[in-house]
Amino acid sequence: MAKRIITVDDAPIIRLMIKDVLIECGKYDVVAECSNGREAVEKYKELRPDLVTMDIIMPEMDGIKALEEILKFDPSAKVVMVTAIDQRESLMKAIRLGATDYIVKPFEADRVMSAVQKAFGESPETAP
Amino acid sequence: MEGLKEIIVGMADFKTAKEGEVLTTILGSCVGLCLYSPKHKVGGLLHLMMASAGAQAMSPTCKKAKYADTGVPELIRSLKVMHGASSTDLIAKMFGGAKVLQGVERNIGGENSAAVKTILLEYGIPLKALKLGGEKGYRIKFAMDTGKVACQIFGQIVEEF
Amino acid sequence: MAGKDVHYVLRLVAKLSIDKASQVLSKMVRAGSKIELEKVYLADISKATENVMASDRGAVVGAFVDLVGDIPFKFLFYVDSQDSMMLTDLILRRPDGATKAIDVYTMSAVQELGNILSSAITNVFASDFQVAMKPTPPKMVHDYASTVFQEFLMDAATEQNEILMIESTFRVVKVDIKCRMFLLPKNDAQKTLANIIGLN
Repeated sequence: MAKRIITVDDAPIIRLMIKDVLIECGKYDVVAECSNGREAVEKYKELRPDLVTMDIIMPEMDGIKALEEILKFDPSAKVVMVTAIDQRESLMKAIRLGATDYIVKPFEADRVMSAVQKAFGESPETAP
Repeated sequence: MEGLKEIIVGMADFKTAKEGEVLTTILGSCVGLCLYSPKHKVGGLLHLMMASAGAQAMSPTCKKAKYADTGVPELIRSLKVMHGASSTDLIAKMFGGAKVLQGVERNIGGENSAAVKTILLEYGIPLKALKLGGEKGYRIKFAMDTGKVACQIFGQIVEEF
Repeated sequence: MAGKDVHYVLRLVAKLSIDKASQVLSKMVRAGSKIELEKVYLADISKATENVMASDRGAVVGAFVDLVGDIPFKFLFYVDSQDSMMLTDLILRRPDGATKAIDVYTMSAVQELGNILSSAITNVFASDFQVAMKPTPPKMVHDYASTVFQEFLMDAATEQNEILMIESTFRVVKVDIKCRMFLLPKNDAQKTLANIIGLN
């Protein structure tokens, strides 16, 4: 069965880019798209996806806060941070909180795939 | 307005012009005031940012065109000195004051236009046309031959005032 | 502090920021981008806006970002409407001409470029000057270039008649797209930066 993923970013184009990469692979379903952290937390609780891709800088609630809320609700949640800020501090905070991995924008398709596969414990050879 | 000389007016500035010339500017939250003398076929365009200069008005470095309360009298004075048009010869038209950036609380356009209206009343200059507000920029072209203003709000058709 | 030091600091910031922004832009659109203009200058608000009006070809899509932190800056990135559609095609790897309108993806293409370029600049501040800054979510506009530029200057212009500005233009060579980027130090940003890097 396809793994269920929520993409979170205030830029529709980024959500589309990530969705295109995941859908093309044929083994992942994007079950929801969110434009801010608050929506992401609500959708996570509603849909209980297998993984979330999470932008950091967003209006209403940023990705770090949303990550905290999601992990409070579900400590086993898999969250891959997607960020334009290549700054150690934000990313280290996310990893310390429990983010699975991070992707730095601008990204290539294979970086998205490797981060998602790694989160699921899949290698490129064993990925479905 | 083909074949006519276009004179561009930047923010916090005013310029005057005579027959055969067109004053033009693009506005956002600023207000553009057009003053015209049909008798002399001369006019001026003031692109103002704020209602009042306050204490700044006394400063020698005050950019008078930035403010309604210093810019409007200065424009009226220039029209008299440079083109011989008195305030009693003038009519006014006003444009702009859009709220381009969302999330900005203050109604700057409303404050500016209210200040201009007050000053025009003091000088007895009738306000013949008014187009204010919205969320998009205004491009205005003010022709001295006719006193007409072609106003195009971004994304809309040109209207003549 | 001597004026010379202020400009030196900002020229340094400009050089590093613009270089980094150009690299990041190239990576995002997957095409080489050339820096066509790079300058730091004191802009008279009337003259600067008059110049933009004189070259205003009409509609642009623009992203405003506030860089907040130790040294606040304002950031503006804008592209002609037509070029923004071509940028969208490049970013999404669509065929040339596939994007035919300023839709949600075009707006967000410029939004994301604004986000990524401004973030690259905060990274320069962090790594080269040890200054902590971060960008706020971009505010988007689709309007006349002059209107966009005036709104960018508005806060500073209410207090000053001349504004210190960093300006650059990038050309995406493959598709001949021109992008404009501006950085405006807020308040005493330049003095604070000079203090931090030990010029005072």
